[in-house]
Amino acid sequence: MENAQKQQIINIIATHKMLDSSCISLETPLEELGVTSLDAITIAYEIEEALNIEIPNDQIQSIVTVDDIIKTTDKLLK
Amino acid sequence: MIAITGTGCISALSLNASGFTSKLSRGIGAISKQGESGTYPGAYITDFDPASHFTQEQLALLDPFSTYAVVAGREAIADAGLTSGHLQNAAAVIGTGCAGKHTDEETYQKLYVQKRKRVHPLTIPKGMPSAASCQTSILLDIQGPTFSVTSACSSAAHAIAQAALMIRAGIADVAIAGGTDAPFTYGLTKAWEALRILSKDTCRPFSENRSGLVLGEGAGIIVLESERHAKARNANIKGYLAGIGMSSDASHITLPSAQGAAKAMLAALKDAQLDSKDIDYINAHGTGTIVNDATETKAIHIAFGNHAEQLAVSSTKSMHGHTLGAAGAMEAIATIEAIRTSIIPPTINFTQAGENCDLDYVPNKPKKSIIRYAISNSFAFGGQNAVLLFASNNT
Repeated sequence: MENAQKQQIINIIATHKMLDSSCISLETPLEELGVTSLDAITIAYEIEEALNIEIPNDQIQSIVTVDDIIKTTDKLLK
Repeated sequence: MIAITGTGCISALSLNASGFTSKLSRGIGAISKQGESGTYPGAYITDFDPASHFTQEQLALLDPFSTYAVVAGREAIADAGLTSGHLQNAAAVIGTGCAGKHTDEETYQKLYVQKRKRVHPLTIPKGMPSAASCQTSILLDIQGPTFSVTSACSSAAHAIAQAALMIRAGIADVAIAGGTDAPFTYGLTKAWEALRILSKDTCRPFSENRSGLVLGEGAGIIVLESERHAKARNANIKGYLAGIGMSSDASHITLPSAQGAAKAMLAALKDAQLDSKDIDYINAHGTGTIVNDATETKAIHIAFGNHAEQLAVSSTKSMHGHTLGAAGAMEAIATIEAIRTSIIPPTINFTQAGENCDLDYVPNKPKKSIIRYAISNSFAFGGQNAVLLFASNNT
């Protein structure tokens, strides 16, 4: 995935949780960012809208870190 | 009796209750041609900035009908001087007739017009009819029984009645109750237009040239407490809810029945153990439609007999518009304040009395008069009637 798209995903998470995007690294567990299940599906929706993809339910459930979101998204973009 | 110790209100007249009642007592209306619908006059809230009341994260979950409820609820709690300790077992009952129409219509627009495949994940929690009571509980930390009630234009009065009944039953000592609605969406305005009861002129309750109702938006919330609880904490008691009357016409979905409305007024008198002669003022449902105003007048004659001629009867909808699920609470606040200040708010935009409208409607100018007891009428589509009877804090 291009760096610009990675940053776009990080920005979506940061905007949703009202965090500075510099606080978010790839290894950060979403739980540490205060991401609840409702946040997770909202972030997934924002990514779907931004990148015009569809993230299946089972793939959202297996996401733990920011990197998991990026890898999942990357596969769906290919 | 149930003590009323706080009020909160956001409306086209003002963003707070004191501004609301101050304008009512001077006969100042808020109906204008501004707003999204364009064609019809409305009582639009134009100077409200939600971002000054809520964080962005909170706003993501707030349809305007919830926003209004929380703002009015917060004001009512502060006005009553309640602290977090009082709210741990407090109830919150919020009426709504329309619920999250903004959220629903934005969603449908995306699906049906933009042909988008997905909708926002917060569509349901934001738009559901109980969202306003959920957010009132969450954001104001009210931990007793909380829920929404819906009976169209009687919703807020039924909500206040339900809260009072919980206090009487000992389920709660304190309750926050009222109603909220934000009906100015394209689809809902069109739906009202289809009923052919929206006025293109203005709201002129009981007048000969009245031509229908004018929609309004906002929320009204009052704080109810058991008299014992209010007195124990030295609360400022604004007045009392002395009686509740409810009835159903059991006849037609839109045509009101004078008998059904009269039954609710008589039930409120009976509940308060009062005689019809004890009532000095009626804050009427007074929508400004041909049918409501004549039927309500007939109902007042049935319920009050010869005393009807002595009553002051006014419709404050002529000033704040018909706020649907919020109307009963805004009008309860107007009634409590009329008793408290001995100033009866007028029916503005009044020209001359309409056919079968033969009461003292306090036309155009407020009236100074001592009020011992007053009732606030709310009648709804489906014939669901709710009448609240308020008493002075000197009784």
